[in-house]
Amino acid sequence: MATSTQAPARRTGAPAHRPDRNRIPRTFYWMVLPAVVLFLVFHTVPVLQGVFYSFTDSPGYGDWSFVGLENYVALFADPQVRAAYGFTFRFALLATILVNAIALAVAIGLNGKIKWKNTLRGAYFVPNVLSILVIGYVFQYLFSGSLPAIATALGIDRLSTSILADPQLAWVGILVLAVWQATAFNIIIYLAGLQTVPGELYEAASLDGASSWRQFRSITFPMIAGFFTINMVLALKSFLQVFDHIIALTNGGPGTSTQSVGVLIYRGGFQGGEYGYQLANAVLFMIVIVAFAVVQLRVLQRREVSV
Amino acid sequence: MAPPRTVARLLVVGLAASALTACAGGSGERTELTFFQFKPEAVAYFEQRAAEFEAQNPDIDVVVDNVPDPETALRTRLVKNDVPDVLTLNGNGTFGELASAGIFENYAGDPLLEDLNEGYVEILQDLGASGEGAVNGIPFAANASGVLYNVELFEQQGVEVPQTWDELIAAAQTFQAAGVTPFYAMLADAWTAQAPLAPLTAQTAPEGFFEARFAGDATFAEGWREAAEKELELFEYTQPNPAAFGYQEGTVAFAAGESAMLLLGSYAVPQIRSFEPDFTVGSFPLPATDDPADTRLVSGVDVLVTAGAGGAHPEESRRFIEFLMEPGAVQDYAEQQVAIPALEGASNPDPALAGIQPYIDEERLVGFDDHQFIPAIPLGPLLQQLLIDKDADAFLDGLDGAWDRVAQRRTWGLGAVSS
Amino acid sequence: MTTPTSGPNTIAAPPRPARGADPDGPDLPGRPGGRTRRPRKSREEYRVNWWLTALLVVLSLTILVPLYFTVVTALKTQDQLGGTGFAFPTEFAWGNFAEAWQLTEFPRTALNSAVITVGAVVLTLLTNSMVAYAIARNMHRRLFKGLFFYFISALFVPFPILMLPVAKQTALLGLDNQVGLILLYVVYGLSFNIFIFVAYINSIPRELEEAAIVDGASTWTLFWKIIFPLLSPMNATVGILTCLWAWNDFLLPLVIVSDPRGATLPLVQYVFQSQFTTNYTVAFASYLMAMAPLLVVYVIAQRWVISGVTRGAIK
Repeated sequence: MATSTQAPARRTGAPAHRPDRNRIPRTFYWMVLPAVVLFLVFHTVPVLQGVFYSFTDSPGYGDWSFVGLENYVALFADPQVRAAYGFTFRFALLATILVNAIALAVAIGLNGKIKWKNTLRGAYFVPNVLSILVIGYVFQYLFSGSLPAIATALGIDRLSTSILADPQLAWVGILVLAVWQATAFNIIIYLAGLQTVPGELYEAASLDGASSWRQFRSITFPMIAGFFTINMVLALKSFLQVFDHIIALTNGGPGTSTQSVGVLIYRGGFQGGEYGYQLANAVLFMIVIVAFAVVQLRVLQRREVSV
Repeated sequence: MAPPRTVARLLVVGLAASALTACAGGSGERTELTFFQFKPEAVAYFEQRAAEFEAQNPDIDVVVDNVPDPETALRTRLVKNDVPDVLTLNGNGTFGELASAGIFENYAGDPLLEDLNEGYVEILQDLGASGEGAVNGIPFAANASGVLYNVELFEQQGVEVPQTWDELIAAAQTFQAAGVTPFYAMLADAWTAQAPLAPLTAQTAPEGFFEARFAGDATFAEGWREAAEKELELFEYTQPNPAAFGYQEGTVAFAAGESAMLLLGSYAVPQIRSFEPDFTVGSFPLPATDDPADTRLVSGVDVLVTAGAGGAHPEESRRFIEFLMEPGAVQDYAEQQVAIPALEGASNPDPALAGIQPYIDEERLVGFDDHQFIPAIPLGPLLQQLLIDKDADAFLDGLDGAWDRVAQRRTWGLGAVSS
Repeated sequence: MTTPTSGPNTIAAPPRPARGADPDGPDLPGRPGGRTRRPRKSREEYRVNWWLTALLVVLSLTILVPLYFTVVTALKTQDQLGGTGFAFPTEFAWGNFAEAWQLTEFPRTALNSAVITVGAVVLTLLTNSMVAYAIARNMHRRLFKGLFFYFISALFVPFPILMLPVAKQTALLGLDNQVGLILLYVVYGLSFNIFIFVAYINSIPRELEEAAIVDGASTWTLFWKIIFPLLSPMNATVGILTCLWAWNDFLLPLVIVSDPRGATLPLVQYVFQSQFTTNYTVAFASYLMAMAPLLVVYVIAQRWVISGVTRGAIK
């Protein structure tokens, strides 16, 4: 959430230790050593093991044999995998855009001249305090019980049954939960960004007779572009990995219409026992996530500069 | 408060070291047995049994682990080399796969099996075994999958228990005409669609279908077509929006007398009774053909008891399993849960089972077909899709495609039939 | 963002709002109803935009409605369910809570969650900031710059890849318990925390440290005496985020914790969901109890949390 998007390294700053310019105090090594060791042991090594097993037919325990790239080849022929990626991309793009649009709008509102400012801010942050799984169960009941009852009372036929039971609509329920839960955090980040915009700029713009929209486009947005970039990248990354929402609401159903890549990896790899195969899927997924992040950073940062 | 440098370093190293060698918990006086319990409906029963056992055996502490999503939990434990001491499991495809991998004890020739119904022991063996002739689980309770029905409602409409497929459909039409939902669909829970599929495939698919399918000599498109179409036909007689309701709503509605039949097995009776229906719950096997003599009752091992192979406390585990398998206790469980006791010659007098008891006595039984199914293919969701889209071709071709793809990318554990 | 002028802040004491922050807050949660000690500036006496206020109040209902729904459902008896579910309970079924309390073994489960959360937060604050400091002050060295990117890159590794291997690893080391969970939160948190700590430390002028070096202070002293106190706003942010993550996480406890007695609150809800599908009211009582501790803490410390996260975001 830091706004610095240029490379943090700067040789220009005076080095910390002038007396011995080229000697780094040993203490710095001691400071990072345990973290590096633990990170290696608990993150990098498991990842490498995971990558290794993606070239095997291991069920996750017992014997396995090496199958080379076969898992990867099989992935591309698997309609389940294609469907899961399709669902995940659609969901993540929509959720990212919605969350950021709503969060930005609400943040601008909360930054405006309103009463009960702090209380409202507090209220808008509440969803972020709740466990997705637990509040997901609540939403599940809302979607399958209350919403149809309300729709029936209002005579809306399309919604008189649970949207979670409709393969065409179930994703909407997941989207609603995801947006409801994730917007809170982004509101706060945008609020922080808006506070960095000096008020004098607006006053000057108002004197020049600029419309609100014009002010937003020329002042607000450019000033918080860094926040926007970070929010977009992190939101997309986390929505691509959507998991808890689906477990709580649909379990991937109806049929396999809301099976995200994360759910597919978990289900196929554990319940289905195709551990090696689904790890290949996870490796592919990692490549996709990184590619998305890189492309986003490129595009958004160019915008930041060009404004 | 700046700690002196050496102290700080020691702290740093100490923290890392302690993290890497955290003690796994000291063992006290009592031996700790992990008891992996998969069946949500039986939590109270098994917890009570464990407590009774502890009272009799003060040297043993049984830790009951009631898990959601048992397959995943068990596989995660296997990865950790942390096989539980004692387990209850469902006799399904996953059990077969794990048994074939040699994870469970072998009970072949064990006196514990002597009092049990041979048929159920064989069902488990057919699912998978660690070696030739091995038995990797002890049948505890069996269930039967057929049709549950509202006895009074049948009498009211003058409907006899159907003996053939056509009679079943005729009965459904009678109820529909009378404004009663014939079958309450619970498609929100995908697994419920598998309940009628098991008897349908068992009675309409060719003999030895799965062996042939593994060998590549048969297809779902042919062998399962009749079953898929009949399943679709059954679901023409449900309430509107079958996918909007789940097991919970279905059992509530049935108990309230809103539907004449439920396409579920005996395992659903305790749940239905918890809503206090004021009628008798009856049951009959689902007839899938027009010859009553062909009708078979689908029955499987609902709960089996087994132990991890090479566990740390073989003697204590053994004591606990013997305790669990006491015939009186097995019978108690069956009566509580409306299950079929796996004991030789025992039966459950429950009226809900009266309709299927003759089939059990005559051994006109057949195992669950879907237990032969490769667990990596999500049969439940695919079936749910079929019943929403009503496209049998897509469903069957999808099964064939998925089956071939999985078979191609797997070199192990393709069911018990391949060895 | 200016750094707080006060000395070291503990997590429990709210940092003083810095000058130049948003004119209307964040106010100190001082005496109830009491005025803050800051003189009110004339700039704050703007005209309230009531339309905007009304709009935001209405929008905030979308947040409050599901919570209201949870509360009323948890208080109903079974036979009051049905309909839209928004009706107020006609009689309160407090027994739901007693039943949920017992079924989920709430005291033990909540204690587990609390121990894991507190442990993760404390250790994260003490260690991650230190690592970030070492990296930030040596960014011009290839090794440290490499480390920086090494930690950050982990942000984009999907968890399923390491799910089973890490389960295996922790079990091998005897860490498939609460201790292991705390450690994993601290270690996995490094990626994101270093990212924001480093950005913040870069904005701290080095003159302070240089003066101390001239006085002969060691690097440890520099960090603990000078830098760590200055990191308070960031510590608040990281502490809050770690707290939310560790308290609400579900997947990591699911695969790491072997012993059912070590289950956390979200994990127990998951177990509960599969065991008592028929018992919505008790289930909702249980959900409410799982959400309540953190909600209560949040409501009490709400202003401080918001300002903490807000200041953290601005470096």
